[in-house]
Amino acid sequence: MRRALAKFINLFRWHTAERELEREIEAHLRLLQDDFERRGMPPEEARLAARRSYGGVEQSKELHRQARSFLWVEEGVKDIRFGLRHLWRSPGFTVVAGLTLALGIGANTAIFSVVQAVLLEPLAYKDAGRLVTILHRGTGPVAPANYLDWRRQATSSFQAMGAAQAWNPNLTGIDQPETVRALQVTQSLLPMLGVEPALGRLFAAGEDQRGRDHEVVLSDRLWQRRFGGQPDVIGKQVALNGEQYTVVGVMPPSFQFAPFWATRTEMWVPLALEARQQDRRGQSLRIFARLNEGATLAQARAEIGAITARLEQQYPGTNRACRVTPLMENVVGKVETPLLLMMGAVALVLLIACANVAHMLLARASGRRKEFALRAALGAGRARLVRQLLTENLLLSALGAAAGLLLARWALQAIVALSPPNLPRIETVELGSSSLLFLLGATAATALLFGLAPALQTAAERLSIALKESGRGSGGPRGLKLRGFLVTSEFALALTLLVGAGLLMRSFRALQAVDAGFDPRGVLSMVVSVTGSSEAEGGRREIFYRQLLERVRALPGIEAAGAINHLPLAGDLWGTSLRIGGRPQPRPGEAPGGIYRVAMPGYFETMRIPLRRGRAFTDNDQLGAPGVAILNERAVAEFFAGENPIGQRISVGTDRPQPEWLTVVGVVADVAQHDWAARTAPEIYIAALQSREFLGLSESHSGYITLVARTRGNAADAVPALKSAVWALNRGLPISEVLTMEQALADATAQPRFLMLLAGLFAGIALVLAAVGIYGVMAYSVSRRTREIGIRMSLGADQATVLRMVLAQGMRQALLGVAAGLAASLVLSRLLERLLYGVAATDPLTFAVSAAVLCAAALLAACVPAARAVRVPPVTALREE
Amino acid sequence: MGVLQGTLDLIVLRTLQTMGAMHAYAIATRLEQISDDLLHLNQGTLYPALVRLEQQGRIKGAWGKTETNREAKFYSITKSGEKALEEETRRWRLMSGLVEKLLGEGA
Repeated sequence: MRRALAKFINLFRWHTAERELEREIEAHLRLLQDDFERRGMPPEEARLAARRSYGGVEQSKELHRQARSFLWVEEGVKDIRFGLRHLWRSPGFTVVAGLTLALGIGANTAIFSVVQAVLLEPLAYKDAGRLVTILHRGTGPVAPANYLDWRRQATSSFQAMGAAQAWNPNLTGIDQPETVRALQVTQSLLPMLGVEPALGRLFAAGEDQRGRDHEVVLSDRLWQRRFGGQPDVIGKQVALNGEQYTVVGVMPPSFQFAPFWATRTEMWVPLALEARQQDRRGQSLRIFARLNEGATLAQARAEIGAITARLEQQYPGTNRACRVTPLMENVVGKVETPLLLMMGAVALVLLIACANVAHMLLARASGRRKEFALRAALGAGRARLVRQLLTENLLLSALGAAAGLLLARWALQAIVALSPPNLPRIETVELGSSSLLFLLGATAATALLFGLAPALQTAAERLSIALKESGRGSGGPRGLKLRGFLVTSEFALALTLLVGAGLLMRSFRALQAVDAGFDPRGVLSMVVSVTGSSEAEGGRREIFYRQLLERVRALPGIEAAGAINHLPLAGDLWGTSLRIGGRPQPRPGEAPGGIYRVAMPGYFETMRIPLRRGRAFTDNDQLGAPGVAILNERAVAEFFAGENPIGQRISVGTDRPQPEWLTVVGVVADVAQHDWAARTAPEIYIAALQSREFLGLSESHSGYITLVARTRGNAADAVPALKSAVWALNRGLPISEVLTMEQALADATAQPRFLMLLAGLFAGIALVLAAVGIYGVMAYSVSRRTREIGIRMSLGADQATVLRMVLAQGMRQALLGVAAGLAASLVLSRLLERLLYGVAATDPLTFAVSAAVLCAAALLAACVPAARAVRVPPVTALREE
Repeated sequence: MGVLQGTLDLIVLRTLQTMGAMHAYAIATRLEQISDDLLHLNQGTLYPALVRLEQQGRIKGAWGKTETNREAKFYSITKSGEKALEEETRRWRLMSGLVEKLLGEGA
């Protein structure tokens, strides 16, 4: 340490040290010269003689300098060259060990890159850690009056608060019409995020008031796509749903808002709340806020809780449980656990890889004992030997890392391609500087992990023994013990991975077995929007919708067609409260409710949703005819348990002054509604042709329908035909969300499938590595015991006995590992619990099968060397050495 | 005959221990004398060893005057140098014994 410090200081004291050197050599030469002069030489001759005797002054200076500065740099270079030569000379070992490490390091780097981009990277807003959301149960929207109360009263924890609401207007007036994903935001919201617009400005104060709210801020993508990236777009007029809006700003390309819902938003418009100041029931707003400097989440929660409690006394039944959540949690909350689990799984793979390489090193080390003994005898210190070994390990690990980097690049592409659609920020994944830093760290850690134990063991061997054995090469009892431990831990780790993968696989199988409630094959859907077009005029809509379905049904290859407001699984989910005929008016907040669906005739047939009782909607369920409704089985079970639902009366919405009674005419099967395999909620289907709202005859109305068509062939092939059927009726109608139901289904189970694939891959690698590990140990142990086996066989042991003996030794370690792995899995699989569906975290079948698979692999791997052992003729075995 | 790598330090330390503070020239001369001129130390190679030992704190140097009134750096062994010498000596004895045995076996 002191020496290193001195050398280090010397780097800076170069001149001083150089002068000192000069002085000392000078003194030395003087003394030499004196000596020669004393012997009678003339001074000049003595001077020359002194120089000669001293040796080259410059060489000497160079030697001196080397000693003075970082000698270990040079020694390091020597070590590296020696190490490289060594690796080069045993290509088999180098390739196998390098690939093993590449697998481990590469997979870890890839998964880390995903974790980094998705979980660790802060959101791209200013001081994003202080941004929070205030939402119903942490995810749902809240009513305007609640927002305004919070904003006015919660001033001690919050610096700013803003609200947003999704809006999908039709952008017209420039070539093709299209439905744009927009967000209506209060004026306070965008400035709160702290991102400056690339062009123009954000909304100014007062622009979220009625009359001044006709302005838009564009996303970079929309600006490029529809306005050619022209800077003169500022001040231009665009038509949204037929009304004129002025472009005031363009956001930078990296800007995205909102980050967890409405993520594909392409424009922002002011949200005027004046008219809804007293609205405590229209829950449509998502609230974003920035915490005050120094305010904690707990304070914010307490403040919002206190205000909500006050409001509940003032306006009972209108306040829903709201929660302050960090914005980041909204974004990554659902994927955090699975991603971290995958990171853990892949770390286990690296551990197994390290154990395997450690095996190989231990086996090699025994072959190199003579070399090291000799070097030690020639003066190399223990530290020097350990350094040499560690350098070799680091080289090996670096080699693995280089190959692993290639692997990581490739794996990352595969991961991004396979990733489920709900994995946020996956598009920002890259092998960036943090990934490389991680790679470096993993490389160094790996080298230490797999190399330190063998290195220390080699260096610690008593030299005398090594020399006496003159390189006969036996691992020594310690080596064997270490190796046995390594195999046992490998098997334990591999079993944990197998159990995890097995559980995820069973869970996925269970998910796939879930009945969607409809038949997705061949069904194509698209959203057709009439808002702002001539078809939106009162009365025109009904005709248009009927004509559209007629046209689509007439297309060749189309079996059936229908329409609905929102598709199950893929579409939005609107709730409604309910009154039931013949029962007392429920107290506020206690009304039953369900999912609000508005369907055109033909919808149930097209989707093949089974009709359980009564009838489906017909063309005659129109305005003027008696109002009808259809319920799903869940709704019947909740509202009419034990009664005949057909003929019952219900009224949708509890805030109407007068109930509008609808008669239940049919019951259909439950369908998967939003979260796959989540508990079904009651559904209330309204006949679209009787819905004043749907037909645009009431003040609030919905201006779009989701067209569904069942094709005879491949659903995707029917897209052009369906689009032209829409545009044949009106060229100006935007079509969006073109989707096959098969895709919607695949998306719904994409995350479990993704997890299962990753976990399965890791478990597979682990299995192979563990098998290779036990094979290596067995092969080595057999080769060491060749003589012993020979003696046993010459003394009369038959092949079966020997085979049993060798196998028993291998299997003992494997079984020990399996036992430890089972115990570890019992603990670790609980972490998976929340991700599992239809299978317990301690599922005995999964545990048993995983253990059996691992044991079979171990037996197979142990058989090869065991068979080799018994085939050795005893004479050869005895003569060996 | 050259010096076996790693043994020069040992020799220097031992010389300083028995002879007390000496300058480099005197050390070199002493070594030649003691080895009956068998060990012909290129005097320039002595310096790296001295620098190394000084950096390790096993010897320390100070400028002074020789009896002929010449300027020279006098080196003397330190406490830690004494300890190191003891350790190295033991090591060397063990090692040379081993090597001797090995060579004797004719392996």
